Amino acid sequence: MANKSRRLPVHNLTTVFRFEVMRTLKKKSFWIMALAFPLLIGAIIAIVFFSNKTTQKAVSETKNQQFSLGITDKSGMITQAVFDAYKIKQIPDRVSGISDVTAGKLDAYFYVPTNLATQSIEIHANDVGLFNNSRYQSVVSSILSSSASATVSSDVAMVLQNRVKYESTTYKDGKKYDGFKQVIAPGVFLVMFYLVIAFFGNQMLTSTTEEKENRVIEMILTTIEARTLIIGKILSLIVLATIQICLILIPIVVAYMFARSQLSIPDIDLRSIPLNPARIAVGVGLFMSSFLFFTGILTSIGAAVPTAKEAGGFLGIVMIMIFGPLYAVTLFVSSPHTPLVTFLSYFPLTAPIPLMLRNAVGNLSYPAAILGITILSISAVLALGLAIRLFRYGALEYSRRLNIREIFSRKP
Amino acid sequence: MKQPIVIVDHFKMQFGSTTVIEDLSFNVQPGETFGLLGSNGSGKTTTIRALLGIYPPTGGTLTVSGKPYKVDSGIRLGYLPEERGLYKKEKVIDIMVYFGQLKGMTHNAAQTWSEKYLERVELTDKRDVRLDKLSGGQQQKIQLGITIMNDPELLILDEPTKGFDPVNRRLLMTIIEEHQNAGATVIFVTHQMEEVERLCDRIILLKDGKAEAYGSVVDVKKSFGGASLDDIFLKVYGEQIEEASRA
Repeated sequence: MANKSRRLPVHNLTTVFRFEVMRTLKKKSFWIMALAFPLLIGAIIAIVFFSNKTTQKAVSETKNQQFSLGITDKSGMITQAVFDAYKIKQIPDRVSGISDVTAGKLDAYFYVPTNLATQSIEIHANDVGLFNNSRYQSVVSSILSSSASATVSSDVAMVLQNRVKYESTTYKDGKKYDGFKQVIAPGVFLVMFYLVIAFFGNQMLTSTTEEKENRVIEMILTTIEARTLIIGKILSLIVLATIQICLILIPIVVAYMFARSQLSIPDIDLRSIPLNPARIAVGVGLFMSSFLFFTGILTSIGAAVPTAKEAGGFLGIVMIMIFGPLYAVTLFVSSPHTPLVTFLSYFPLTAPIPLMLRNAVGNLSYPAAILGITILSISAVLALGLAIRLFRYGALEYSRRLNIREIFSRKP
Repeated sequence: MKQPIVIVDHFKMQFGSTTVIEDLSFNVQPGETFGLLGSNGSGKTTTIRALLGIYPPTGGTLTVSGKPYKVDSGIRLGYLPEERGLYKKEKVIDIMVYFGQLKGMTHNAAQTWSEKYLERVELTDKRDVRLDKLSGGQQQKIQLGITIMNDPELLILDEPTKGFDPVNRRLLMTIIEEHQNAGATVIFVTHQMEEVERLCDRIILLKDGKAEAYGSVVDVKKSFGGASLDDIFLKVYGEQIEEASRA
């Protein structure tokens, strides 16, 4: 039964990588998790789509709907032309109007007082449902607007009706600068980091506990290097995270391409999005170093505790450290040079969000970005080294948490 | 005499303030079957783990083929640890092929070998079944298969019969004998004296981290006045066994 076509046990990285990717892809739980978010987005898009469609239909129906209307105009604002156009019955007094509505002679009656600046317009109408009752206010508003517009020039009418169009151009360093569009390309890395940690944090945390819980660790450690196993697992997580991101992006792209107007998505010409190579490079650097750092941290925790369940307890703490700075988002945008922002930007556990956000909004200088990437990269190397050491020397502690001092006192 | 394949020289192991192995020296010759005997807690598993680089020794040297064991040192090792386990949620064939590849086999070679082995141990129908759906005995067979699947030149079996039913025990013994006949070196960690007597050329008895007896089975018996290995075991570890049973 012996096989003679064998190689010596070296370079097992691709074997670990393939095994980890394939077995995760074969799990139903992965696909449930992976598809849950895009399906949720799809469901929300569908709800918004049908809601908008239904609302538009309802508005259109309401607009065309004929109903009997009476008005008492004490202000004198409403012109005869408008009375005629809207086929409005003029009612001499308030009491008669209300009585016509209650008697079913009119669908709606509006009492327009003498002084609109201090008094309210009264609407008395038949109930047509919680949402449709708002049509009466729309109608009276339209009547007044039409009447007012008739007394002024068309330009003044545009201003009064808030229909003036605006086109703004901002400049920075003497060149055109669109702050919103500038955020998009470097901001993608912040969103990606958020999604990766949110979806894969737990998997990173438990990736090393499985060998421990299943007691397979001794066979593994005498077959391949701990480093190979950890790196193989991390590479597999990167691939799985990429798949996850694609699954999230695909429905968004499809929605943007085919249902932009129905979903009220801003009509942005993608070709007009500025691509600043330096800021994108900083975004890539921050994303990669942050991802590796937190992978190292989460893998270390997984290697240090005996079970996945116990590892899960630490995930919340790590999440608070990573995403806690989001609560200070306005500070990062408006006051990037305050001591608190500086601390949060360079303290490794909190650095990713502030640095990526500041890079996106354009207030992270290049020296500051390089310093941030350097800190995160060094932290990533240390965290991954710690993870490998904990896995290597702590793997056989099946039933208790590791003592870090004990691990480091062991000779390599 | 050939160069020993395993040399343990003045090995010392401490965990914190607890000394598990005080000063242990022995060697294992290529092609022999060597028994590492001792009661629970005598340091057998610790010695094996230190030999395989899982634990760094506190003192002394432990070598395999002349150097400390590393996974990439080119030695074909088959190791059945005392703490058994495999990936529970994966299919039997996937686990076997994975380990085969990690041991240097190609995917096809590992798959072919695994299928033949499953046929031999009458588990062909479990090929695509998740490991945790198998009985304990069936899982033991799979683990044993993984241990021997790279045709090991050094086979280390830590309490191999632990948890085995008589049928699997017979299978294990047959497999060990096959590897003995093929020239493999076997280190057998156990306290089953019947198996030691049947399989081992030389033995070492560990007690409180030291060698209580060391040599060929015949020599060790002679040194205890010709007693059987069972009697020797009781004589050496009797007090510890009594203490353990009282506790």
